[in-house]
Amino acid sequence: MEVHASLTGPFPRSEAIVRATRDLDRGRATPEAVDRLYRATEDELLQVEGRHSLEPRTGGYLRWADLFRPFASNWSGFEVGPVTRWFETNTFYRQPILHAPPERVAGSLLPWFPAANPALPARHAKVILPGPYTFAGMLDNRSGETSEALIHRLGRLLAAEVTELRGQGYETFQFQEPLLVTRPPSGPAAESTIAAYRSLGDAVGGGTSLVWTFFGDAGPALPLLGRLPVSAVGVDLAETEPTALAGFPPGRGIGFGCLDPRTTLLEEPTEAAARVTAACDLARPSGVWLGPGAPLDLLPWDAAVRKISALTATRDLLAPKRGGA
Amino acid sequence: MSAVELFPTQEIGSLARPLWQLQGQRSAPLSPAARAEFERWNERLQFADPADPKVRGFLEGSAGAVSAALVRDWGAQFAIRYLESAGLTRVYDGEARRVEMYEHAVRQMGGFELLGHVRSFDNKYYLKGAVTSEVRLERPYDLEEFTFVKEHTHATPKLPVTGPYTIVDWSFNEYYLRRQAGWMGREARQRARREFVVDVARKAIRPTLAAMIERGCRVIQVDEPAAGTHPQEADLVVEGFNAATEGLDAEFSMHICFSDYRSLFPALLEAKRCRQWAWEFANRDTEDHDAYAMLSLLREFGDSRQVGLGVLDVHRDAVETPEKVQDRIERAAKVLGDPSRIWVNPDCGLRTRSLEVAYQKLQSMVEGARRARVAHSGAA
Repeated sequence: MEVHASLTGPFPRSEAIVRATRDLDRGRATPEAVDRLYRATEDELLQVEGRHSLEPRTGGYLRWADLFRPFASNWSGFEVGPVTRWFETNTFYRQPILHAPPERVAGSLLPWFPAANPALPARHAKVILPGPYTFAGMLDNRSGETSEALIHRLGRLLAAEVTELRGQGYETFQFQEPLLVTRPPSGPAAESTIAAYRSLGDAVGGGTSLVWTFFGDAGPALPLLGRLPVSAVGVDLAETEPTALAGFPPGRGIGFGCLDPRTTLLEEPTEAAARVTAACDLARPSGVWLGPGAPLDLLPWDAAVRKISALTATRDLLAPKRGGA
Repeated sequence: MSAVELFPTQEIGSLARPLWQLQGQRSAPLSPAARAEFERWNERLQFADPADPKVRGFLEGSAGAVSAALVRDWGAQFAIRYLESAGLTRVYDGEARRVEMYEHAVRQMGGFELLGHVRSFDNKYYLKGAVTSEVRLERPYDLEEFTFVKEHTHATPKLPVTGPYTIVDWSFNEYYLRRQAGWMGREARQRARREFVVDVARKAIRPTLAAMIERGCRVIQVDEPAAGTHPQEADLVVEGFNAATEGLDAEFSMHICFSDYRSLFPALLEAKRCRQWAWEFANRDTEDHDAYAMLSLLREFGDSRQVGLGVLDVHRDAVETPEKVQDRIERAAKVLGDPSRIWVNPDCGLRTRSLEVAYQKLQSMVEGARRARVAHSGAA
């Protein structure tokens, strides 16, 4: 069984980017200067990811204002809406308002993904996208479509996006689905979600598809998560007790969010590895994907870098035991 | 205006810092833009005497003409006059001396280390700290700040204090978590949070509030913008509020914003010493969504406290018209069934907007409240 380790969401902006983007908003910096700083910081983070043998790499998604903004800004049918709390965090997103059934604009999102930086070949980059269920549930739907139809539609549109990205050489796709565990779907919404992932699975083809859940206990959602046609499902071990994984179908890939980005206290790798091992012994996964339980952008930059060290130390404890890289 | 008139107005938080204050505090020579800004606002508000040699020296860029402390005093006087001249009933100093509501508070307490910036949204960030040892307080804070406001305003000063729950929620918990065995589990985290909240409330905030009241502070707003972050912890918000105000007598309000207020009930009902809920509404009030209908939850729970009604969206430059403000007040009054419970305020601190835009918004708010007052009682 292989043990993979990678980041699972956006990385914090560096203190230099914090200063530069504030200056940008105040008219004291140019967009070109800020763009150069983004690129340099992406390069720095790619080196950090490389040094720690994280694979695939992300570049940090530093330019994304929130998980939905590139879509709300580039696809038709959307308006970028009010500042809205992002789950149970002290961070916010601008809730997309959907006025009409959305349509994608081909090619418009390519600059937002990691291989826009020539330092990172697409095949070594992780594409991180909103999952269709979370996307549909977190926007303000005024389009007239039912939520089930919207999940379907977003699944198809995201699949088209994946197809385009596959054409660019990307191989690994992660879908962010915190809503699947904080507000698990049932009935028609659950079936729509599974159908949406069929579309996405077809588009990913021979690549790797991950659904990453966080901010909630995955236990109650495991029956549904086990039905998703993806390579692996990620759970946040700060919210999910390892024993809950006993209910997950054996032989499937599991992602373990073994670091808690809601505290700067560093995990003891032996303890984190023990929690993963306990879960593996119950669930017998076909593959293990390690990562932070939720995106590290809840931390300041330096603290996030220290978490990466804890992540790789945890992986190194597990990898020999699990016979993987 | 007396507080018994309908629809009195109040500030709710911080204002943007004037450019001249930012430059002056750094002892930097004023840029032409900063000097022009000072002169423009001073002509309007008369917060500093232009004949004062120190003011002249400051504007002419004489090195060392004034101290950073004096610039901060002028910043506070500016904000007080700004709010007074806009016509508000209750004012403060725009938090002119505070870096930011969280950072300011934790810098007064022992036990915290500030670690770096975390993004709130877009290009907005805050400096976030970790509690690394037991919370302690050397001496009550903000006393000089309050005294200055009290001595420089004709209006009623309303003191803003960052609440214990928000301080905890916006901090990384190391010390209290480390004391828990098996801290990576959920139950250990919950125990550690409760200990942290109660310590901040009892060891840092309550002594400060007691000292404020001793100095004559009567109106205190406990800011708990994080209250809605974890709705299942609403009882912890209340426990912190009650611990911070235990045995104290003042007119306490609790400010919460960008939250699902319904999710905090019925727990909030137990905040016995809270006389007013000051909440954000305008940001979510749109043509097809009446945000003020949410106030019906107070009727459902039989809660008859005052409401600090957010009528200005602090995240958009568009200035609400007096008609819009009046409409919002009247919709709220209709839902509450008692207009005398309403105080009118911005959603949150206006520091997100330029001073010019914020001032226009405040003037519009005051005028909208006046119109609503006339419509309800015939009194201007």
